[in-house]
Amino acid sequence: MEKRACFIIVAFVWVLALLFVSTALGQVQTRLRIIEASNVGSSIDPALRDVHDQLGSLFNFTSYRLLRDESLSLIPNRPSEINAHQGVSLEITLMQQQKKEAEYQIRILRQGSEILNTKVRLSPGRTVLIGGPKHGQGSIILAVSARF
Amino acid sequence: MKDPCSSISRLLERYFDRETTADEGILVQEHLRQCTTCQAQLKSMEELRTTLRTPVDEAVKEETFAWVWQKIEREIQAREKPSWRESIRAWFGLSFPFRRRVWIPAVAAALLIIAIGFPLFFKETPSQTGLSIVKYVESHTNNVMVFESERENVAVIWLFEGTEGESPT
Repeated sequence: MEKRACFIIVAFVWVLALLFVSTALGQVQTRLRIIEASNVGSSIDPALRDVHDQLGSLFNFTSYRLLRDESLSLIPNRPSEINAHQGVSLEITLMQQQKKEAEYQIRILRQGSEILNTKVRLSPGRTVLIGGPKHGQGSIILAVSARF
Repeated sequence: MKDPCSSISRLLERYFDRETTADEGILVQEHLRQCTTCQAQLKSMEELRTTLRTPVDEAVKEETFAWVWQKIEREIQAREKPSWRESIRAWFGLSFPFRRRVWIPAVAAALLIIAIGFPLFFKETPSQTGLSIVKYVESHTNNVMVFESERENVAVIWLFEGTEGESPT
């Protein structure tokens, strides 16, 4: 009776462990920041301090404001859709994850119609900036970073 | 002198019911050999038992007692219904608290899972040598520019929806 109980508990714990580890291995934490860039004013959102230098050296805009900061747990081949701003939405799919890289497909839609489709590979901690969709007097810049 | 029948008659009923000790039984048997009164008394007891037993035995033979068993089973079930905790304990075959040999490996395994899984979920491991690589990009509606900055270690995809002044430097 006691042996049976030991076996059941140990088996249950190991099944949980396998599930937990396999789930953890399959998921990729992805940070998505939606930034409004414009030439109206000259303020930089303090929340963008870590990418301030990159933005300053890459773009001509004078003002950057963080609209949204999302942390996503992406599972391979399951698209995640985010409403970026004013009719612009983003569909992000983790295509595959290797030890040092994660591959994403990112689609940007305006009013439901695709305006951009791209595949990018990111190492942990690295960022891809996707910009251009019009927003008021400026543009939207999407900063996608992989964390695993 | 005391009448032996009066002392034996107290034993006689117990002898008839086979409740006497061995010594008492021998005493009664010796007395019965020589006492016709007690023999008659014993005989009348046997006749009375036969008279009573016959109709009772006949009635018992006719009765199945199924309802009695049903009632007994119902009583047993009503009394023996265990609580959920006792049921679980009984199912696992353990007494509470759990034996050490069970919960120590279980706790150790749980800690191992947490130790392995926690960093996988929450650890951020930025790589200094890592890259951002644009494998493929297309737009059916707008012009697109891809710029990979080695200095900033970042890839930029720019979709031209506005004027050139809004494009990257």
